[in-house]
Amino acid sequence: MKCEDCGVEMNHHADKIDYNAGLDDPDRADPVYGGVLEEAHTCPACGRTEVRAAAES
Amino acid sequence: MSTERALFIPVILGTPRQGRMSEHAARFVLAELGKREGVETELIDVRELPLSARDEGGAIKDEGFSRSVSRADALVIVTPEYNHGYPGMLKHALDTNLKEYVHKAVGVCGVSAGGFGGTRVIENLLPVLRELGLVTVFWDLNFSSVGKAFDQTTGALLDESYVKRADKFLGELVWMAKTLRHGRENVSI
Repeated sequence: MKCEDCGVEMNHHADKIDYNAGLDDPDRADPVYGGVLEEAHTCPACGRTEVRAAAES
Repeated sequence: MSTERALFIPVILGTPRQGRMSEHAARFVLAELGKREGVETELIDVRELPLSARDEGGAIKDEGFSRSVSRADALVIVTPEYNHGYPGMLKHALDTNLKEYVHKAVGVCGVSAGGFGGTRVIENLLPVLRELGLVTVFWDLNFSSVGKAFDQTTGALLDESYVKRADKFLGELVWMAKTLRHGRENVSI
């Protein structure tokens, strides 16, 4: 995943379950975790953080 | 370690109550934080956040608050203790963000009229902060008998011992903020 500001490869440093997103859209919810599993990526150059659904990786 | 960019550590004032003494504590911490080299800060007052009371969570996200937390490397939360708990407005505000908090440091300042310095509200707040994805430091800043710690009219600090206490608290928070920034930017899961 590239940083939109720098074009630098971002660092995938966390996975987090978003339970509310799973309630809003049950089809996106992970059947094991009960919510939408999201990845957090941060740019080592500028610190920008992006989150995307784990399924998108 | 990439610490060239200044750390951004906003201070969240967690109560909208009229006559709040926590504002004196928050402004004191804000000033102490602002004295630190390589640290930028700002006050986030929950009273000023335009949050609806007709819904909860990300649906009522305030873009300004979200942007500040996204930019932040750490947070300071200044909270009074109301009936052993945290103000509803603080929880209401914190719940509007989620991804913005992940792997960021947080330190809590408890404020109370009595002698316990908000220890009970801090204990109650810790599991909330953990679930949000924040990483708590093991130093707190406890403002006991807050009516005596600050001039109630001007907000001036009356008890100078808080300068030393704040220094320890903020030192630990800055260390954690630097460490977690390094982790976010360089250490993969």
